[in-house]
Amino acid sequence: MEKKTGLIFFPAFDWAISPTHPEREERLLYTRDQIFEEGVMDLPQIREFAPRLASLHDIARVHFCVPRVQSQVTEAHLIAAGSALQLGDAVLAGEIKNGFAMVRPPGHHAMRTVHGNRGFCNINNEAVLVDYLRRRHGLKRIAIIDSDVHHGDGTQDIFYHDPDVLFISFHQDGRTIFPGTGFSHELGGPQAYGTTLNIPMPPGIGDETLSYIVDNLIMPVIEDFKPEFIINSAGQDNHYSDPLGSMRFTARGYADFTRKLNPDMAVLEGGYAIETALPYLNLAIILALARLDYSYVLEPDYWPGRFTENAERASKVHRTVDYLRDVWEKRGSADIAKIFGKGDFYQRKKFVFYDTDYIEEEQIERVKKCSNCTGYLLVDSKGERGYRVPVRIYGVSVPFGACEVCQREAYDAYYQAKKKKEYDYVYMQDKSLDTCLNYERDKNHEWSTEG
Amino acid sequence: MFIGIDVGGTFTDAVLLDRGCVRASAKVPTRDDLLSSLLEALDKIMKGFSGDLVERVVLSTTMITNLIVEKKYDPVGLILIPGPGLSHKHYQFHADSHIIPGAMDYRGREIIPLRREEIEKAIIDLAAEDYKKVAVVGKFSSRNNRHEKEVAARVRWNYPDWQVEMGHQVAGQLNFPRRVVSTMLTCATREKYEFFVDSVIGALSQRGIDAPVFILKADGGTLPLPCSTRVPIETIFSGPAASTLGVQALTPPGETSVVVDIGGTTTDLALILSGHPLLASKGAAIDDYLTHVRALAVKSVPVGGDSIVERVGKEIIIYSERLGPPFCQGGPLPTPTDALRVLGLTRLGDQDRAREAMNNLGKPLGLSAGETANRVCDLVIDTIATEIQHMFTQWEQEPAYRVWEVLEKRKERPSTVVGVGGGAAGFISQIAARLGAYPVIPPYAPVANAIGAAVALPTLEVTLRVDTEQGYYSIEEEGFQEALDDSNFTEKQALDLASKWLNKRANKYGLNQRIDDVEIIRREVFNMVRNWVTTGKIYDVHVQTPRGILGHIGAGGELK
Repeated sequence: MEKKTGLIFFPAFDWAISPTHPEREERLLYTRDQIFEEGVMDLPQIREFAPRLASLHDIARVHFCVPRVQSQVTEAHLIAAGSALQLGDAVLAGEIKNGFAMVRPPGHHAMRTVHGNRGFCNINNEAVLVDYLRRRHGLKRIAIIDSDVHHGDGTQDIFYHDPDVLFISFHQDGRTIFPGTGFSHELGGPQAYGTTLNIPMPPGIGDETLSYIVDNLIMPVIEDFKPEFIINSAGQDNHYSDPLGSMRFTARGYADFTRKLNPDMAVLEGGYAIETALPYLNLAIILALARLDYSYVLEPDYWPGRFTENAERASKVHRTVDYLRDVWEKRGSADIAKIFGKGDFYQRKKFVFYDTDYIEEEQIERVKKCSNCTGYLLVDSKGERGYRVPVRIYGVSVPFGACEVCQREAYDAYYQAKKKKEYDYVYMQDKSLDTCLNYERDKNHEWSTEG
Repeated sequence: MFIGIDVGGTFTDAVLLDRGCVRASAKVPTRDDLLSSLLEALDKIMKGFSGDLVERVVLSTTMITNLIVEKKYDPVGLILIPGPGLSHKHYQFHADSHIIPGAMDYRGREIIPLRREEIEKAIIDLAAEDYKKVAVVGKFSSRNNRHEKEVAARVRWNYPDWQVEMGHQVAGQLNFPRRVVSTMLTCATREKYEFFVDSVIGALSQRGIDAPVFILKADGGTLPLPCSTRVPIETIFSGPAASTLGVQALTPPGETSVVVDIGGTTTDLALILSGHPLLASKGAAIDDYLTHVRALAVKSVPVGGDSIVERVGKEIIIYSERLGPPFCQGGPLPTPTDALRVLGLTRLGDQDRAREAMNNLGKPLGLSAGETANRVCDLVIDTIATEIQHMFTQWEQEPAYRVWEVLEKRKERPSTVVGVGGGAAGFISQIAARLGAYPVIPPYAPVANAIGAAVALPTLEVTLRVDTEQGYYSIEEEGFQEALDDSNFTEKQALDLASKWLNKRANKYGLNQRIDDVEIIRREVFNMVRNWVTTGKIYDVHVQTPRGILGHIGAGGELK
């Protein structure tokens, strides 16, 4: 018998950012109604799993949480991330063919450094999953395809210098929507050039153009990249009825995309048309993952032919796709020194605004241009809330399979930073040894977790 | 005095309880005519007692289970209104399904209107195929029953003598396919069940028993017999519920135990967690059909005292079939009972024939009769112990939809393994040893099921859903929907409304005492926000009467 599709449905009916916030208890209520009324969990092709909690170490492996993991996560976050891990385990154990974590709260705007909540996210569920799979199951190459209307800037940030993680995001043009990034020139750092691809779409784009992007960019690139595991960051706010986005995708369009991509796992991200879109989209995605007929899933106010593509906007997307395809194919011969400059380190300066918590972050990120491994990462970040003393942190991240030189230099950097008064907290995230350290100056105390 | 009667597949058991004591018990074989077996057992326990001493009678019967499994019911035609969603090819149900256009959404708003000519066409087709029973079921009919009512009215207008059942009245919970099955089976069995109920009531009053009569449901609760004709399928699988309640009554309160009922060909397992029988998270499955019937979490393992044991190559294998009694009792093939006999763990049958059976089985493998018997017993014990462990893990892994539910997940392991049923004695102590628990075979174990029936209490539930923006509320269990014109409706009012309905239902089901002690299983409030403004609230409240049993046997007069 063919393997089943695993589902974890965790609507967190007792968790909200605030009572009227889009990320509130009601968000998956109608999705629950639709899925339960359809009897989806009874289908022989479906297996429902219970959620579990991710460990604090699973989070620390990915994020520098300021001041500590415990202060950035609630139990709901650990359950959402843990649900993704639960299904990831089941897929790799061969118990199920693929999985869909329909969970709240979402995570794709959470970056490596977390001063607070931005874009409704604290913890990046997909990134936690990716590093868990690499650590626990020894996977190397993983692809994340982000189908949320908002640019998956958190996921991009975390894997920007990681050549083993392919990140592709298609989303509404950042000039017209949060978070204002995700342009086609954001292609990854010197160590991972071309493994970040962004397709910004002008407002009003629909299924037809989505299909063009998938057929002409996403699928060919995935075929080249040969990932061992594909994750869909399944935001649903590209839907034509979404109150935050301005796109025109339909449930059918999302299902076709899911069928073609055939991801090992999908993790729910945004989507705030909680009545008009989510019940139908989630159902269609589940059916597509389970290889069942989704042609009967129709939004009540949709009829075939309701939307026609604006030719000019569509051709704009086509041009972006052609450009990125070209970048991808020529990435091997790109002149990295010309693009990123010479020297041992590549440095970029970032200003990050936390829209939910009103925090402004200034950050300098440096990556070692190592030729033996993907290079360690240094982060110097200052988070400022209007009403209190800014917090400054220093974080060191050692990648999977780091070379000896990088490891040594990284630990040196960590111990140097611990001595400097300007840093309130200093972090070491050693993925090669699966050890995380967290030093707090005021208490002169260091915590450590190990996998 | 209280009477409990369990009409099981092989035996019909009856007990007469008086102030925590078992006054009389009886065991008679179940014949094809269930009623005559029932009365025979009743007459046996009533010998020497007058009918007017009886305060209450509770029955548990396989009647509906048998009807369904043996497919001895009239065919039912289906008129379904599924609308968009899953492909309609999922909606065949091994029955004549007529799918008509029309649809409601999750909040009971009409998405697609009904079409008169399509309804008429379905009715004409059903009439042409000679159906007289029709189930009308719509997706989300528990949120808005208008479509079902309109279609049912058209059927009745055309054919007033047809029996028509509507989905929202049978099963108000979410899950359309299960609602279809529940409605179809209700439609199929009601007529025969009504006849059975009338016969029982007649026969009891002939014997001078005028006490109220109840029937046991799969969830271990009872219903007054006359009211149960509304929901005949709630009585399926009441047998395992009876045994479980029996064990609850025969063991001290508050224990975590596994109930192991080893019968001829199957072993039924049930869990009692901290004194409360565990309910299944989903409705019962019967004959390949998934229903909405709430049932105890019971697992049936196809191994029993009479199962056939055979050698295949170098392995010894137990089959789920029975081909007559054990070899030691004159049967054709070796069975686990023969193994027990060889090991001296039972006195059933003939010792020499049992040895012969084990010898024949083990000889080609170079095993003595004793060694073979040990092997067979180990097999049975392994199978059962593994299933018990599996039940516990399954319970731990049940989905949770709220943060507190995930945090509350606990691990529990049984402190006792309680054996009931014919084959229990030989195996229980070893199963318990395997699980690190104490073995218990309580007194009256052979009639634990009848005791369970006797101590069972009525259970009633009310699930209230209020949608203040749409301006209506519904009571799931009653298929009731009514307008509610109060946009300031509060959570307190919702709880009061739910309690009011619980009492209303209690009256309807002949429970005359007022329920003050309402158990709240779930109370949830969802703020409905549109464009950053709160436009309404959805309340989801689930209440029930306290669950429990009349009392514990041997507790010295505590049984009322």
